[in-house]
Amino acid sequence: MAEKGKMNIGHLGGVARLREENEKVVKDCESRIQHWQKVSGDYEALNERLKTLPDQLSYDIMVPFGPLAFMPGKLVHTNEVTALLGDNWFAKCSAKQAQKVVDHRMKSKLCCHARKDLETISSTKGDYVDIREDTGNDDAAVTKGKQRIARKPHSMPKMDAVLDLKEENEGGSGDGGSGNGTLTEEELWARLDELEKLEELQDEQDRLSDNADLNGEDTSSVSSEEEKEGDAAPPVNGLSLKPSWTSRPHSEAPPSADRKAGEDDEEEQEEGSCLPTIFFSHTIEPKKVRINTGKNTMFKFSERKEQKEHSKKKKKNGHNNGLSHHELHKITTPVDIYRLFVDVKNGEPVPRKSILKSRSRENSVCSDTSESSAADFEERRVIGRSFSHDEATHSDTSDDSPTAVPQHPASRFEAFSGTVVEKEPMPSAVPHLTIAPPALPTILERKQEEVTPDVVPPQQAPKRVSKFKAARLQQV
Amino acid sequence: MAEAIQKKLKAEVEKYTQMQKDVSKNMSARQKLETQLTENNIVKEELDLLGSTNTVYKLIGPVLVKQDLDEAKATVTKRLEYINGEIQRYETVLKDMEKKSEQHREVLSSLQQEFQRAQGLAVGKV
Repeated sequence: MAEKGKMNIGHLGGVARLREENEKVVKDCESRIQHWQKVSGDYEALNERLKTLPDQLSYDIMVPFGPLAFMPGKLVHTNEVTALLGDNWFAKCSAKQAQKVVDHRMKSKLCCHARKDLETISSTKGDYVDIREDTGNDDAAVTKGKQRIARKPHSMPKMDAVLDLKEENEGGSGDGGSGNGTLTEEELWARLDELEKLEELQDEQDRLSDNADLNGEDTSSVSSEEEKEGDAAPPVNGLSLKPSWTSRPHSEAPPSADRKAGEDDEEEQEEGSCLPTIFFSHTIEPKKVRINTGKNTMFKFSERKEQKEHSKKKKKNGHNNGLSHHELHKITTPVDIYRLFVDVKNGEPVPRKSILKSRSRENSVCSDTSESSAADFEERRVIGRSFSHDEATHSDTSDDSPTAVPQHPASRFEAFSGTVVEKEPMPSAVPHLTIAPPALPTILERKQEEVTPDVVPPQQAPKRVSKFKAARLQQV
Repeated sequence: MAEAIQKKLKAEVEKYTQMQKDVSKNMSARQKLETQLTENNIVKEELDLLGSTNTVYKLIGPVLVKQDLDEAKATVTKRLEYINGEIQRYETVLKDMEKKSEQHREVLSSLQQEFQRAQGLAVGKV
């Protein structure tokens, strides 16, 4: 009994080695099969080319000059082909004759080679089968394991390659290898299912983040999903964003579509916006991203601004200190950034002196008073500049103008007060800035307007629309 | 005794390996010839397919030399025959080598047995 046991063990050792050798041969054969398949593919492509070549008398082509250069040229005599017959023999023939040559070669040459390899593989696979029959379960388990090991390096990133290999395997082996093939196939399907689930989850998360508010909760969950994805099948976008994403769990949640679209820009934007202490980040316009995506977001944007304007207007005198601090923490719009640049004098925000020269701002492009968001941005920037500009040029009205001007953004939403955003008597070169009533505003007029701000709006309210027209008419 | 046998054994083993190498060389040469044979067969068939309307070239170094179709056919057939002959020759040589290697193997095995016996005796003696 012991002897038999020893014999079996010895057998197993020998069998294992034999199997290794067989495996090597099988791999070799597989590689050769691949090679021959490639060759046959090439020949088929050649056949196609030969078919279409004589369609035209001449072709305009780029002729290769060495490995790196091309020259425009013509392919002439499209029916004359010099074909290699083998063993350094060439024959000049027509395209059709060349096709015949190709077919003949395919039949005789490739087939027998491929067949040889196939036979060898099938025989080795047959050996596998024999071994299994002799010793039963042990060997079967070992063979299955071996198959898996062979597949493992391919299983993770390249599913296609594995499938191709498996196809070849099955094509070459026939019955013997089919058992092993199905097992690995199941593994692959399981893997595919996993990945599909991950993708579905990711899609749900994306949908959620699209509709989400500015909460950090979604981002955290999204980030976790991204990490999962990163592990499983790393998409480049996800990976690149991952480090910045996880470091800011409370950041606003831009839609994932945008996230994938504009990676670097958004990263910068995100970093600038969420940390209230960072003021000097002019590139930030997180809401801009939102606006690009859909109308919902745009609405939100404008709503927020309105609220800000409302609060600012109501608590103009004396409450601004508290508000400004409060609003300091809420940088959601570019206007907020400019508000941060204000100093508080006399209980009211006074904008700081701009670094720009006054000259340059005169000629700077001030946007139209269109109701598009982009224009709104610029307008507010203009207003912001006008803050400091006013301060620089008109020290007299420095106290009044900021009070008047902040009305503008608010007024634009509610009721157009008709106050002018002009610094000096403008030449007609900048006509589109004149939101004013027909009379060109002077300092006196502005003062008057400021003096009677309450009077003006009710008067102007009904004429709101017409004022634009009037301005336009005036310009004309 | 044992040492002498050992030396003999080593010599025989070397000879045997040499024989094996020769045999493998022969095998590879024969395989080459076989591929050439198949090639030439294909060429012959293709030449027959083409007929006499087209020109045939032979690649000699970097030059394509024009050849007459009949000449080419003749050349190819001659080459075929030559290859066949070569294969035959190689086969005979291979057979001889195989026989020799068999003889060597037998000698080696006998020597090994002697060596083992001598070793056993030596162990027994000690």
